[in-house]
Amino acid sequence: MTTNVPAVDVHGAAAEARPKNFINWSSGFMSWAGTLDHKRIGLMYLVGVSIAFLCGGLFALLVRLHLWEPNGALFSNAQYNQIFTLHGAFMVFIFVIPAIPGSLGNIILPLMLGAKDVALPRLNLLSFYLWLTGAVLATLAIVLGGFDTGWTFYTPYSLYTNQAVVTIGLAVFVLGFSSIFTGLNFIVTTHKLRAPGMTWFRMPLFVWALYATSLLQVLATPVLGITVLLVAFERLYHIGIFDPRLGGDPVLFEHFFWFYSHPAVYIMVLPAFGIISELVSVHSRKPLFGYKLIAFSSLAIAIISFLVWGHHMFTSGQSTYAMFAFSFLTFFVAIPTAIKEFSWVATVWKGSIALNSPMLYTLAFLVIFAIGGLTGVILGALNVDIHLHDTYFVVAHFHYVMMGSIALAFFAGVHHWWPKMFGVIYNETLAKIACGIIFIGFNTTFIPQFIMGSRGMPRRYATYVPEYAPFHQASTIGVIILAVGIALMVYYLVASLFQRKKAMENQWGGVTLEWLAPTPPPLENFNEPPVVTNEVYDYSTLDLQTMRTPVK
Amino acid sequence: MGHHHVSSSAMFFNVLVALLILTGITVGTSRIDFGAANMMIAMAIASVKASLVMAFFMHLKWDTAINKIIFLSSFLFLSLLFIFTFADHATRRMDTQWHVTKAPVDKQWVHPSQLVGK
Amino acid sequence: MSHDGHHSVVIPAPGPEFQAHTVAHHFDTPVQEFQSAKLGFWLFLATEILLFGGLFAAYFYFHEVYPETFRLGGQQLSWKLGALNTSVLLLSSWTMAMGVRCAQTSQKSKLLMYCGLTVLGAAIFMVIKFIEYKAKNDHGLVVFSELFSPYNEATGQLAWFKDYHNAMVDKAGVPLPHGHLFFAIYLTMTAIHGLHVVIGAGLILWVMKGAAKGRFHAGYYLPVDLVGLYWHLVDLIWIFLFPLLYLVP
Repeated sequence: MTTNVPAVDVHGAAAEARPKNFINWSSGFMSWAGTLDHKRIGLMYLVGVSIAFLCGGLFALLVRLHLWEPNGALFSNAQYNQIFTLHGAFMVFIFVIPAIPGSLGNIILPLMLGAKDVALPRLNLLSFYLWLTGAVLATLAIVLGGFDTGWTFYTPYSLYTNQAVVTIGLAVFVLGFSSIFTGLNFIVTTHKLRAPGMTWFRMPLFVWALYATSLLQVLATPVLGITVLLVAFERLYHIGIFDPRLGGDPVLFEHFFWFYSHPAVYIMVLPAFGIISELVSVHSRKPLFGYKLIAFSSLAIAIISFLVWGHHMFTSGQSTYAMFAFSFLTFFVAIPTAIKEFSWVATVWKGSIALNSPMLYTLAFLVIFAIGGLTGVILGALNVDIHLHDTYFVVAHFHYVMMGSIALAFFAGVHHWWPKMFGVIYNETLAKIACGIIFIGFNTTFIPQFIMGSRGMPRRYATYVPEYAPFHQASTIGVIILAVGIALMVYYLVASLFQRKKAMENQWGGVTLEWLAPTPPPLENFNEPPVVTNEVYDYSTLDLQTMRTPVK
Repeated sequence: MGHHHVSSSAMFFNVLVALLILTGITVGTSRIDFGAANMMIAMAIASVKASLVMAFFMHLKWDTAINKIIFLSSFLFLSLLFIFTFADHATRRMDTQWHVTKAPVDKQWVHPSQLVGK
Repeated sequence: MSHDGHHSVVIPAPGPEFQAHTVAHHFDTPVQEFQSAKLGFWLFLATEILLFGGLFAAYFYFHEVYPETFRLGGQQLSWKLGALNTSVLLLSSWTMAMGVRCAQTSQKSKLLMYCGLTVLGAAIFMVIKFIEYKAKNDHGLVVFSELFSPYNEATGQLAWFKDYHNAMVDKAGVPLPHGHLFFAIYLTMTAIHGLHVVIGAGLILWVMKGAAKGRFHAGYYLPVDLVGLYWHLVDLIWIFLFPLLYLVP
């Protein structure tokens, strides 16, 4: 497993003999647009989801600026409805769901397994183009009149509103299949392309997390597909199953929708858990506490997530008995999730902690996710939820999970693997400052939302009574701080590509297989097919020589 | 390519005959009224037919364990959708007295499309 | 993609009328390639089950809510044509299974013949489907020309559901609640299933093109196997659709 980098060979070689990596081995538009290389596809995803994130973020900024004044500062109510819907739809379907599997998963998963590529490279490229098609269709829907249903497309409103619901429905359908194919590919890759000696319990936890995610993507997403298709059919030829005028039942829509969309929450968060599991270990230079527990808890979360969707429907008119069951089952999600949080904290404890910028993002995650997770338990309680349902408390809760936890874990992963992907290192000082700004901005945005939510401020409203103004204004100030932090982050990351300050071959001292491949990896990843002989996260095998060798 | 199972033509033919006979039985039993059991009987016969197709035509009987688990688990997860949705529907009317409010309704319901743009 | 100098694994052709198969560069062995593709395809089939599952859930739900509408609606369909179509599809599933067997045993011309018969089965199925749809159209149960016309808010009348012969009424002649629901679900389920039949037939034609060139033989028959699985899935779904729609229990 310890492959020393043959640093001597290169000294004699001419300058242009610099080893070719996956970025520079060929050039031209088609070498990227038609590539089957998992790293190039992952990189294209990374660019794509980052743009989607910035678009979604811009919409969020507009929403918050509008809410500076009780009567709304910027838009008409109808425009406001469209903009918060755009924020939700872009963030959920185009950013959060594909973000980590599509970009970091694609690049890192085969490397971690010691494989040359994902098992089905063509399907991988198709998956990217489906994502692109979905993103284009969603943007087209804005041009075709926008959509104001919220990202959940609740019937019957989505059947009556005179807007581009069919187009955005089609976009979601296509994005769904993009997600399915990514998941399918990862499952096959994990089963069939592990390096010799890479047993299931030697797989890094990022792989375990992506595997559990993939199961959800494959098993839950088709139901979303048929649901949005049925909504489109309702609008086109009035099937009537979701339309109460025609004898249908809107609650049935909610069952269908949340059968997917609750597991989808874990499609979003499980890869984030995987990243954090890697990072706490590497930056504490310590094997993970409770490796198997974390691995199994990912699977447990995946399975339990199919049993709790009704907690989104506590005020929708479903049967009281169903609500009892769903509320009761919801609490079970807390068990595997808490196992993870405790294991991460136990890993950091007495570790040799290096406060590198990825680790700072990770620590920020640990704090924010604890708040996001615990408020979830509060909302899972049926009686409390009846009060808090559709208030800003819920908004704050899921932003603590989706923005504070998932996006921060995504940032952490990008910082962690940035030197691996590009062979360059960003400005660490700026990175630490940006992390601090983001952490402060995020909490300033959402803590006021917890408070006003618990006092009854409903979500999605374009206007509000003046009593809530201080909270809304604090929240808006927070989002501006957050935007500054993210802008700074984008700046130094992009700048690092031009400054070309060389990273080390193994920047942080990781021992999973991706750090044994050359940096950046060549086309088929490894010079020699790796054979695994050590247990995972065994830092006694760490090759300090490689850590101190700059990238060629 | 090694150990792939090649089934005999006779076996395929027998499965076909069984499937056609079961189709006849499906039609036959639908003529008789078993009351509430009608659906159960129809679905049981269909499941037997589906099992034959899966096991023999689709070779699942000789396939790897993981492929069997994956395909069969799709039915398992589908059953979750069925069970919870129908559990909700079946018990929805049982509890009206629990949460019906006696407070007078002071506002008339307005069609949502009329609220847009206001 | 062997520009890096890695040697590729090649499965030799069993005879002059066949072609050799080169294993994709990122696989070490043919078995790895075969099993990966199979695993991926079974996962895809699982997604198809869940996709149709949503439709089945809707069917069962409204069967429960409007039993009389569904019972009477089922009687408007011709169970004879349904049973005939079931038999056609079962037969075509059998020919497909035989086709895969011929690929496994390197019988090129018989593979082409069985695939051709399967496509023929698909064509007959679609023709019968068309006859059925036409009958529904003529009875005003699904008026295709009016399918996308808007819903009349004032009368509560659907443009595509006219029921010319007052089939969907109770004993007193009063229209059953939401008589269109059965036909909407019938149309949606059979149309999506029919789309799968057409896609499946297209895939089999694509397999035949490869088979004519001799791409498939005992050493490499993966595409035939996968397309076969897809075709059996189409059959599998119809096995449940037939009793539910034509013989409403």
